[in-house]
Amino acid sequence: MKKSHIVILVLVVAAVAIIISIFGDMSTYETFSSAAQSPDKQFHIIGVLEGDRKINYDPQIDPNHCSFMVKDKSGIVKKVIFNGAKPTDIEKSEQIVMKGKMDGNEFRCTQIQMKCPSKYKNDQVAVGNAS
Amino acid sequence: MQTQFIGEHLLPGQLGHFFTLLSFIASLLSCYSYFQSVRYEHKNKDLSNTWLTIARNSFIIHTAAIIAIFFTLYYIITHHLFEYHYAWAHSDKSLNTKYLLSCFWEGQQGSFLLWAFWHSILGIVVIFTGKGLEARAMTVIALVQACLATSVLGIYLPGEVQIGTSPFILLREQMQNAPIFQQANYLSMVTDGNGLNVLLQNYWMVIHPPILFLGFASTLIPFAFIVAALWKGDYTEFIKPTLAWSLFSGGILGLGIMMGGAWAYESLNFGGYWAWDPVENASLVPWMFLVAALHTLVIFRATGRSLMITFFFYVLCYVAIWYSTFLTRTGVLGDTSVHAFTGEGKSMYWHLIIVIFIVGILGFSLISYRRKTMPIIKTEEGLWTREFWMFIGSFLLMLAAVQISISTSLPVWAPLAKWVSGKSFAPPVDPVAHYNNIQIWVAIIVTLLSSSALFLKFKTTNLSSIGKKFALMAAVSVVLSILIGWSQQIEGSQYVLLLFCSIFSIVASAFYAFGNQKSLIKMGPSLSHFGFGILVLGILITGRKKEVISLNTLGGFIPLGKTDMKEAIKESQENVLLYQDIPVAMNDYWATYKGDSSSTEDPRSFYKVQFERKNSATNEVLEHFLLYPDVFMNMKGEKGFSANPSSKHYWNKDIFTYVSSVSAKTDDLSSVSLDTFRSFKLAKGDTLFLSKGFMVFQGFNTNIKDKRYTQEANDIAVGALLDIFNLEGKINSVQPIYIIRDKAVNQIDDTTTESVGAIVRLGKIIPEENKAEIQIKEIEQVKPYIVLKAILFPHINLVWGGTILMILGFLLSMWRAITKKKEAKQSSEAA
Repeated sequence: MKKSHIVILVLVVAAVAIIISIFGDMSTYETFSSAAQSPDKQFHIIGVLEGDRKINYDPQIDPNHCSFMVKDKSGIVKKVIFNGAKPTDIEKSEQIVMKGKMDGNEFRCTQIQMKCPSKYKNDQVAVGNAS
Repeated sequence: MQTQFIGEHLLPGQLGHFFTLLSFIASLLSCYSYFQSVRYEHKNKDLSNTWLTIARNSFIIHTAAIIAIFFTLYYIITHHLFEYHYAWAHSDKSLNTKYLLSCFWEGQQGSFLLWAFWHSILGIVVIFTGKGLEARAMTVIALVQACLATSVLGIYLPGEVQIGTSPFILLREQMQNAPIFQQANYLSMVTDGNGLNVLLQNYWMVIHPPILFLGFASTLIPFAFIVAALWKGDYTEFIKPTLAWSLFSGGILGLGIMMGGAWAYESLNFGGYWAWDPVENASLVPWMFLVAALHTLVIFRATGRSLMITFFFYVLCYVAIWYSTFLTRTGVLGDTSVHAFTGEGKSMYWHLIIVIFIVGILGFSLISYRRKTMPIIKTEEGLWTREFWMFIGSFLLMLAAVQISISTSLPVWAPLAKWVSGKSFAPPVDPVAHYNNIQIWVAIIVTLLSSSALFLKFKTTNLSSIGKKFALMAAVSVVLSILIGWSQQIEGSQYVLLLFCSIFSIVASAFYAFGNQKSLIKMGPSLSHFGFGILVLGILITGRKKEVISLNTLGGFIPLGKTDMKEAIKESQENVLLYQDIPVAMNDYWATYKGDSSSTEDPRSFYKVQFERKNSATNEVLEHFLLYPDVFMNMKGEKGFSANPSSKHYWNKDIFTYVSSVSAKTDDLSSVSLDTFRSFKLAKGDTLFLSKGFMVFQGFNTNIKDKRYTQEANDIAVGALLDIFNLEGKINSVQPIYIIRDKAVNQIDDTTTESVGAIVRLGKIIPEENKAEIQIKEIEQVKPYIVLKAILFPHINLVWGGTILMILGFLLSMWRAITKKKEAKQSSEAA
């Protein structure tokens, strides 16, 4: 066997191991209730704004605190707290994807992605980042 | 009855449709004729030449048709013919002329046209330079052009099958059911278009897409040449053009990718130049395959080894180009990407899958067909040879690209994974860490190999002759690593290792350039490796030491109910509230919001923020600059908000700011003034009531660690610690400082802006009573304010500089590859 073949074999084995480990690193889409079962882990939750789409954000009280109600795919409504400035145009979002974890009865969210209905047919995606 | 619509300009659209069809037919004819020309190459020379003439002329007609489409569409956009859907959807009358060009490639079809345009221009170059491989390479190029042309054809087949979407479709055809189009004079109601997405109204949007698409388009040429080589079964003639085109492509595509990064950094508020977003990855992956292929081709040129893998890498690269297009344009990325094309692309789904298969089957089946005839060297390469380590490096690059590709393709394989495991997979919680943790090891090995391999020779190396050099270079790199690592506070074993490897790469490439190569024309490879080393070093430093400075660290702010300090910091404030004219500390700066430029006409408002660095004792201003982050608001009568950052550039760092929120506009804000300072004597534990909360004096502090204060010998400095509460509890604390330096007194005020707005000053210390005289100025809450986020990027210029050097290295190597006379194939300085 050639030396280069040995090195390549080692590299390929390492790469396969790493690629398998990728799956462990991926997050999953959950609902509020399934996320609550492992409160230490961060998940993705997809939902829509509820509560008349009201966003509580007053930078004069705290520029890093934004809260609103979200209904997840299973229909459960929870309060979501986002530690950052209000994501642009979140009121208009058709759907939001939140990254974070459950904290008691609230969802603490570190990142928000939104799908907004656009002026014309194709969608625009905007993003808000907390950390 | 057919309605006669009033005021429509139908001619440009008809011309456009004609040219699209012409470009498609001409490319097909060119492809077929080139193919025929190859078929009769040996059987009938005259017939072959006739076909060749037809093929060349059809390709020229095809190119002319694409240019004509370009001008027709541009005419429609610049003349605001909103009866056309493309103009209506992507432009409006208020747009600046330079952005009219951006409208062109904002849409799916416009960017396909741009891509096809570059293909055809590069194709013309191949016609003139392709020589013995022209007909075969051009068959491939014309075939790909025909595939691309179908994407703008807009032909409807029976059974609801649509091939491509025409950019010349009329608004009323696009939205047939809308009642407005029942009226003959509908155009009088469509007076303006939808305009360009504000995020794209930026000069980067004008220059970045053409460069990126030139890079994308140029990868076709090396692919066409390797297909030609396989087809002909000639494995020498293709080397020179393939190498030169690969170097061109590597340089331009690399430039395009990093320009995308610069665009994100300069004008989008993602807070960085690279986020491992799927769209970014989609162009990085083919580039990595291309660089791998380029290196194995050099091995083949010098030693006759690695031919098969070279072909394999090139095919992989070109398949990756179309796969990237598939990922970013069909909407499959959906929620996982910030800026992928979505929605519009549903009709492209099968279209692009078919093209991927055409390209992949063409390449891989030819390799398999020719595998027996490819020259193979039976003997084993030596361990200490350039080809051995170059090969390992290229192979590793390929594997790294595969990893990025698999992670990026999550939305593609997620349905399958769900079917198998029952879990619906989402992207990693921290995607940047996900990629970084794997790719850092690739970067470590690649930087090390890319520099060391320069010193090894092809076929055999006299190790003793380079041993001393390596020892010297390693010593220099260790010293530099210690210096940089210490000054930049690089911690963590893998980061220290990467620091050393990137510095070693810089040092070794420089040594090689000036010690071994000497002449500038030969320096391409060492220059690009040198640039790569600097780029990696820049990525390391900016990534590790990026600091959010709008985070108010003063007084150790801990949010309520958070006992874990790490969590507290993570969740604490990264956005800071700035009231007009009230300075707030940020790192060693005072930031003050000075007002805005908003007018009712311009949807864009600039916010003037003053940054000052002061001498802590004398209050003398050491440095002063203004930043103007801006915000687009109220676009087209809708509520909208889009912030663009503003940065202060230093040679060694950038201060990057953007506005995340602003106060509602009221006209009488300016008439409100602050109240004056009021003095209070407080002992430890005393409470002081304010209009919106209270503060408690926690005592003096003589051990002051505050970035705004630089200690000098003989200073007497005392801070007063005050915790601030609102009605719900403690919100933060402040520490005004009192300094005596050379008998002169100075005070450093502190500001709290959240809910209890006040400027706090330590007016006097009364030692006999052990009390502090605290002066308070409350801030009227109706003052205009902005919410600002500020990030400090150290040494970002290493990233840009390294990229530029690397690209210059590519282009210099390309120049060398083109101009180099036929030297002995065994020449050893090629790399």
